[in-house]
Amino acid sequence: MILGRVIGEVWATRRDARLQRSKLLVVRPHALYEPAFGGLGGRHLVATDDVHAGVGDVVIVCLGAPARWSVGGNDTPVDAAVLGVVDHLDFEAARMSAPGAGPGISRPLSVALPGGAAR
Amino acid sequence: MLLGRVVGRLWAARQAPSLGGRKLLLVRPETASGGETTRLLVAVDGLDAGPGDRVIVAHGSRVRDLTVGADVADKDVIIGIVDGHHLEAGT
Repeated sequence: MILGRVIGEVWATRRDARLQRSKLLVVRPHALYEPAFGGLGGRHLVATDDVHAGVGDVVIVCLGAPARWSVGGNDTPVDAAVLGVVDHLDFEAARMSAPGAGPGISRPLSVALPGGAAR
Repeated sequence: MLLGRVVGRLWAARQAPSLGGRKLLLVRPETASGGETTRLLVAVDGLDAGPGDRVIVAHGSRVRDLTVGADVADKDVIIGIVDGHHLEAGT
């Protein structure tokens, strides 16, 4: 699972029939996870949503097979799903953002939380 | 899944049976707001997309099995054609 922020929503009339009921959100992975997605080029991912997340929410995104289970079994052709909306996050920013604290971390991080507070 | 733009189509006279004459499209991954990136991927088309379409590409063997079939040797599959988007201001 990764942490991200919902930055938008996309609409697609023509899509796989098994996706017809799902809302599709555009999520920007949190800076901790960004390097992995930056490599694909777009620095975002598209995830299905079944928990009614909205633009601006910090969310938990599940990737791979568990994402499919969340949208009704293993028979939905998706690879990412929003599984939760984060209400509160305790985050040791100084420790987590030290260069070398994790793969790809080379600059200070900040987490934007709902309500505008940043840690 | 990721957002991308179909920038072309691929034809290959000589190809492995595992590509099975499938329609292959060149997709350039985009930023959320539609900006170009320098990456390029070859995706199997499950929806009859064409050059210029903005598409949603899913990745993985299970996705491939469910859409175009387990016998196809490509794990990037187009599963949606984008009509429009709404983005947070400033993204």
